[in-house]
Amino acid sequence: MTSEIINKYLSNEASEQEVQALFDWIEASERNKQQFIKAKKIWALTTLSANLSIETVPVIQMKPKNKIGPYWQYAAVFLVFLGLGTTFYLFNSKSETPKEIVLELGDGRKEYFSGKNQTNLLNDKGDLIAKKFPTEIIYFGKVQDHKVIYNTLSIPYGKRFKLKLSDGTVVSLNSGTTLRYPEQFGLNGNRNVYLNGEAFFEVSKDKNHPFIVHANQADIEVLGTKFNVSAYPENPTVNSTLIEGSIKMSEANNSSNAILLEPNQMATWQNNSKKLVLKEVDPTFYAAWTKGELAFKDTPFSTIAKIIQRTYDVEIINENSDLARQNFTGTIKISESSVENILDLLKRDTPFNYSIHQKTVTITNPR
Amino acid sequence: MNTNSSFELNLFHSFKDGDETAYTFFYDKYFRRIQSFSVQFIYDQDEAENLAQEALLHLWQNRESVESINGIQAFLFTYAKSKCLNLIRHNKVKDKFKNDLLNHKERELDIEVLNSIQFDTLELTELERIIQESISELPPKTREVFIKKRFENKKNAEIAEEMGVTLKAVEAHMTKALKILKTKLSDYLFLIFILIYNN
Repeated sequence: MTSEIINKYLSNEASEQEVQALFDWIEASERNKQQFIKAKKIWALTTLSANLSIETVPVIQMKPKNKIGPYWQYAAVFLVFLGLGTTFYLFNSKSETPKEIVLELGDGRKEYFSGKNQTNLLNDKGDLIAKKFPTEIIYFGKVQDHKVIYNTLSIPYGKRFKLKLSDGTVVSLNSGTTLRYPEQFGLNGNRNVYLNGEAFFEVSKDKNHPFIVHANQADIEVLGTKFNVSAYPENPTVNSTLIEGSIKMSEANNSSNAILLEPNQMATWQNNSKKLVLKEVDPTFYAAWTKGELAFKDTPFSTIAKIIQRTYDVEIINENSDLARQNFTGTIKISESSVENILDLLKRDTPFNYSIHQKTVTITNPR
Repeated sequence: MNTNSSFELNLFHSFKDGDETAYTFFYDKYFRRIQSFSVQFIYDQDEAENLAQEALLHLWQNRESVESINGIQAFLFTYAKSKCLNLIRHNKVKDKFKNDLLNHKERELDIEVLNSIQFDTLELTELERIIQESISELPPKTREVFIKKRFENKKNAEIAEEMGVTLKAVEAHMTKALKILKTKLSDYLFLIFILIYNN
């Protein structure tokens, strides 16, 4: 009886009444208390194997349609090999001149994120506006006047980054993305940011100051919520996927052309037809990259190739027409896989050859 | 499973010499562990991430004081522990319950739990081995439930749906997992207990 409640409590699923009952039981005797402490201690310490999920579950689970059975076994066999192979690849590629994350300040000054240390960022008046970390930047400070200064952050291919805006909104930026945003938001009016690429937003609530993402020819208006926006310039569409809360997506030049999203929906803006289309989706799939994963679901190779190019900063030339038409489903851990691993896996389904020179991957028909 | 290969040992030396790529390796390896440890005491995913980030930054700045590869983990967890204690003591942990007395009691208990954990280099390495062994020895279904719950932070209902079993079955697997782990780890934790109280 009690051990069930303890378990529920530890996994954060106990109701307030149950917690109350548990705490009463703990207070009833020293022995009970020690038993609880021991249980929580073990629970907390199991984190020492937090990478276990990755080690026991295959890193790459690429499964082409209709071939689920045998393929799973293959993926599992791959595991050990992947673990070793990838790390070496990672290191080789990183020692080459990496492109850098660049932050352009309002006055045109440029900041880089090469160092590993925390540094402070001052504005042109010398006020502290942000703290810079190796993979993250956090803005803070109260909004000052209505003179809003914009910063621009550019993430190159092969990198991802996290940003905390001065209102507490957290933005994860995917590879090949540029975001323009106010250093500090103004006292009145909207919170405007401008996106090129893909970002995941966790917007802090503030009903009086709507948060608006301007992406290509579409605007997405928010009142406190979590959602993903994908607006890469090479794609003729802007996708926004809602996880929590409520957002409104509209045409930038015609705000009456608008659509309201509910959680688990994705709205797509089409540049050509100027139309907004709504559909039900699994949002965790679209937000997978924020957890360091690539997720595909019946995704054509042409799209996968683009994603690989951005994620690993390589160029892919595909001369194999069969492959271009093929769809794939699966999940990949970015940090533990390399371009070679992924291609080797895809190759098992649709045979092809590939060669890698510098950062160019050429895919050809099988010999 | 987790013995330090000569590969990691080489990385450790590079890390000591200030090689950032080597640091990145350890960063990736330990970030989740620290985050998922801390969240059990401060109950906020983002805060826990910040904490893990801080711990790893602190590691980089103090890399000269880390003497062995096993010391990295001990260093990080010791930092996380004291940071969690600080946050709790200074009332910076979010209120979880409506009833404030419950919040207060929970914090008191968490302080006791944290204080009962010692992150000694040797112990930690040994503990890591035992825990990994114990988890991998769980019956397959039970292990799957446990991993989804503990490391992928999934809700019971989600796990039930994913595995095509009832909610009750998921709960039963969790109870079983913790019972087995408790038995396996008991002797060891008891030993630590004695060591601490004898010193």
